[in-house]
Amino acid sequence: MLKESLSSFLRGCRTWRLWTLLGWLDIQQRYARSSLGPFWITLSMGVMVGAMGLVYGTLFGQDMKSYLPLIGSGFVLWALISGILNESCFAFINNANFIRQSDVSLWVYIFQVLWRQMIILAHNVVVIVVLRIVFNVKGYDHLLLFIPGLLVLLLNLTWMSYMAAIWSARYRDVPQLIASCLQILFYITPLMWWPHMLKKHQWIITINPFSSLVDLVRAPVLGAYRSQLAGVLPLFLL
Amino acid sequence: MAEAGDGAIQVQCLKDINLSLDKGDRLGLVGENGAGKSTLLRVMAGIYRPQEGCVKREGKTVPLLDISLCLDDNATGRQNIRLRGLFLGLSSEQISAHEQEIISFSELGDHIDMPVRTYSTGMRMRLAFSISMAVEAEILLLDEVLAVGDSAFQAKATARLREISDRAGIVVMALHSSPAIMKFCNKVAWLQDGAVRMLGECHEVIRAYDQFMHSKEKTDA
Repeated sequence: MLKESLSSFLRGCRTWRLWTLLGWLDIQQRYARSSLGPFWITLSMGVMVGAMGLVYGTLFGQDMKSYLPLIGSGFVLWALISGILNESCFAFINNANFIRQSDVSLWVYIFQVLWRQMIILAHNVVVIVVLRIVFNVKGYDHLLLFIPGLLVLLLNLTWMSYMAAIWSARYRDVPQLIASCLQILFYITPLMWWPHMLKKHQWIITINPFSSLVDLVRAPVLGAYRSQLAGVLPLFLL
Repeated sequence: MAEAGDGAIQVQCLKDINLSLDKGDRLGLVGENGAGKSTLLRVMAGIYRPQEGCVKREGKTVPLLDISLCLDDNATGRQNIRLRGLFLGLSSEQISAHEQEIISFSELGDHIDMPVRTYSTGMRMRLAFSISMAVEAEILLLDEVLAVGDSAFQAKATARLREISDRAGIVVMALHSSPAIMKFCNKVAWLQDGAVRMLGECHEVIRAYDQFMHSKEKTDA
């Protein structure tokens, strides 16, 4: 059983040309014949970060210079996480046509979702880069640590996606359930606020695996350095 | 049909199928609608796994099973050549090498750069069939798909299929047209309610099957 699933995973990895093409075609078709094309992704993310940043920064009485980079990187990462988990629900459902006609590994369709979201992330990263330059965020020493952070995040999202895809194909309530869970997680994960702003109930951050996963990528990007590996490793046990 | 504990409905499609095919075999599958022809083809292709028993295949298997044919509607014909080529396990270089040949065999001409959603059913079939032919298939599984092509293309396709079986391959096709089966197959399996009712030499099985269908027509009328 374990050997079979491992070989299926490896077969999926080996057909990278297939899932990169599938993911790329998705992006191409989604923005076909629009004049901005995929840069709509960058534009809408930029506008959202700007608008939400102004409103919530004012509400929370925050210094825009540090608040906008926080909310910008938070939103970009959350777009990746929620995008992958929401869309992986339909990884098998929407590809039924292909699945019924081909014996390629089912992982292909999971990797298709991951790849598609990575392309979207690449467009959104522009927003973070612009914010870093505009607000002159210091701290380049640990910047590259976001790469291993992102890898850990993606590995975790990979197994979550596979489970979401299987459950969704069997129980059609799962996509709705996951969508509403992600909605709640968006508010209770420190994306729009600093963890220290939560004076009471710090446990909400501690038990939420997504706060450490987000932090793992975001801390280097914001010029901070914090080792949170301890908080993430237990996830692999699942 | 049986209802499992969690309320899901399970359908038993195939039972007691014992079949072995050898190099050069051209097997035709006949049977009423819902007899299990398509399911059997999917089991042979390795898409469905049998709950009991096993399927042993030796050689590159190429399935061509559904009228949608594994094509992406919104992608162009050319993109679909790549896509389906990759699905069938071709390498990127092999696809580029075969692209021209596929386009000319499919006779799509300039339509190849149009989205597949603008194609007619026959054009889709020609594209999908041509891509599958570019793969050095040793086992080819076809489900009724050739029926939508015009007669000229059907003749061309049948010739290609014969080539495959001549160079020591196996072709399995589900068909409703008895004359087409007589023309092409050397063996026929008649499926009924998921089991093999008759298996053997082409003419013999087709005769029995046609007789059965005629008598059914009469009792229904």
